[in-house]
Amino acid sequence: MAGSMVSRRGFLTGAAALGGAVALGGCVSGGSSSSGSGSTGKLTLQATLSTPQPKKALQDIIADYKKQQVTLNFVALEQFRAQLPTYLNSSNPPDVLTWYAGSVARDYASKGFLLDVSDMWEGSGACAKFSPALKKLSTDDKGRQIFVPTSYYWWGIFYRKSMFQKWGVEPAETWSGFLKLCRTLKGKGVVPLSMGTGAGQPWVASGWFDYLDLRINGATFHRDLLAGKHRFDSPEVKDVMKAYKELLPFIDPKGKSLDVTQAVTPLVQGKDAMYLTGAFMTAAVPKDAADDIDFFRVPILDTSVPVAEEAPTDGYFASAKSKHVKESKQLLAYLASPAAEQKYIQESASSNLPTSPKVDTSKFSPLVQKGIQFLNESKDLTQFFNRDSSDELQTTADTALTKFLDHPDQVDKILTAWQADAERVWHK
Amino acid sequence: MAVPVVVEAVWVFWPAVNSLWLSLTKWNGAGPPQFVGFRNYTSMASDPVFRQALVNNVIWLVGFGGLSVIGGLALAVALNRPRRLVGLYRSAIYLPMVFSLAVTGLFWRVLYQPDGVVDSVVGGVGLGAFAKQWLADPDTALWAVLVAAVWRQVGYLMVLYLAGLKGCDPTLDDAAAIDGASAWQRFRYVTMPQLRGVNTVVFAVTVIDSLRTFDIVWTMTGGGPYHSTELLSTYMFEQGFTFLNLGYGSALAVVIFLLALGFIITYLVRAARQEVI
Repeated sequence: MAGSMVSRRGFLTGAAALGGAVALGGCVSGGSSSSGSGSTGKLTLQATLSTPQPKKALQDIIADYKKQQVTLNFVALEQFRAQLPTYLNSSNPPDVLTWYAGSVARDYASKGFLLDVSDMWEGSGACAKFSPALKKLSTDDKGRQIFVPTSYYWWGIFYRKSMFQKWGVEPAETWSGFLKLCRTLKGKGVVPLSMGTGAGQPWVASGWFDYLDLRINGATFHRDLLAGKHRFDSPEVKDVMKAYKELLPFIDPKGKSLDVTQAVTPLVQGKDAMYLTGAFMTAAVPKDAADDIDFFRVPILDTSVPVAEEAPTDGYFASAKSKHVKESKQLLAYLASPAAEQKYIQESASSNLPTSPKVDTSKFSPLVQKGIQFLNESKDLTQFFNRDSSDELQTTADTALTKFLDHPDQVDKILTAWQADAERVWHK
Repeated sequence: MAVPVVVEAVWVFWPAVNSLWLSLTKWNGAGPPQFVGFRNYTSMASDPVFRQALVNNVIWLVGFGGLSVIGGLALAVALNRPRRLVGLYRSAIYLPMVFSLAVTGLFWRVLYQPDGVVDSVVGGVGLGAFAKQWLADPDTALWAVLVAAVWRQVGYLMVLYLAGLKGCDPTLDDAAAIDGASAWQRFRYVTMPQLRGVNTVVFAVTVIDSLRTFDIVWTMTGGGPYHSTELLSTYMFEQGFTFLNLGYGSALAVVIFLLALGFIITYLVRAARQEVI
């Protein structure tokens, strides 16, 4: 008994002494992997890429950069997301970081975490010739540009040309035409739509929701809805769900067990005919079928609504606390240069599009060229549900929409619950 | 003595105390945490996902604990006697334990796929009508994950019980047999009391393992469909690291800690009292 008393007292003393020491040292928490970037004059680029090809591409691009020495750190996505505020807010932050454009970047800018890069968007700046839609996307609430977009991709209804030929069908441009196409395909024993909402990836169900909202209520309403200025149980959203319900008989039920990439397989095999997804899907298509993949625009429901498309944009921002402002901007300019963008897209074998209009796209696949033209024709660009709001609001959509897929008859109840969940996120 | 205490204090107690403090704050990882008192705990009461996760955790604790203990003990008793190929059986049953839970999850996800192995087996025994999307159906998803977790755990508990059975005195069993005790009576009244020490270990291991279950659920369902497989641990991770509600996440961690502590203290107190008698 006595022994345990001693050890307890010893522990308490030790704990108190150490507690003090740790508390004093605690101020330097965060930015663990960024330490050492400040005083040596070296720049740090904190990146989150997990697939080998894009990772290699960025490494090569940085290796070619001769102006400064750049330390390139790769961090797993979940950790990167969780640590991002700490990275940006630490006293010695990584100078340049990869992330997404839109609400997420704007949110950090409103906290004063991001470097103002407005000068890169005017005169002879690296981003000066980028499209106005991209500029708008990279602008914060105070009208400053805080983001440097370097690549983006488009969403569309992907299909196999040879299969459409075999079934004797054509892409549809109107909603009624699209539903008719679905009925025809179903009549031929083909599942019209693939959609991988399973395996922990329910966010895929937001693809159709986003698009139907864009087509029925327009991009402005959609953004306001996600920002909490409209309600999820409003008549406008009910109209969206009504249209979504019309699609349900045509969606492959097995998609509920597949993730976003696995759901490409039934399309490639010709079991499913179409798939509304991002251009990243081409990475999951075997080489011999790659040239057979084509896409078309999500059909128009209301001709009076300006056509908007989802074009999730990736790029870089810099920390407001960076000790190397000039050098960071130089690195950002380099990353956004036509040569670097071209190298990145070609080496990473993605179907991403360059943000710089000066990139020579003639060597890109016809599909990517079609994608570029497709987005240039659109009046407005949105990002995707989570990027236009937050990852937390995305989970409210996941719950509501996957429940809706199982119980479309309970739509009103589901929308009421969605609104309640969303309010908890908006007003926390 | 001093060194381990210091190490323990820095790496275990200090973070634990810190997380207790964080659970009383609102913090997104940036700037100073903002003290909010017990608001994180009161908002749990009105959080339907938390309630669902709590219920699921109870189901998990009972289901996972119960099935793996019964399975492990039964296998240990069956494989305790020397017979042909017994080593092979033991190794085969222990084998899943060498995979990480994440790998187990990915492996079972393939088995559960539509038209996958599980569906074929169900169809093969004439129950084809029961084939379903095991992980996509909220009625079956939690149980489907549970089966995968038990499949892995059962070998581990079997090994623990085998070790316990080796320590039992065979002469007691023989004596009881001569006195006319049936096989069940001998197991219940002669063997089981001798396994008390092992039972304490198994109980602690099982409670801790079921409360910290995370990876297998995360890889198989991610907590879905619509939170039907959400456990306290997955919800804590989501709140803390995906949404950066570090205060609320810490509060959930404290709840998990208290649950584990409650179960184990109750059990240890009971076990200690029995030992005295």
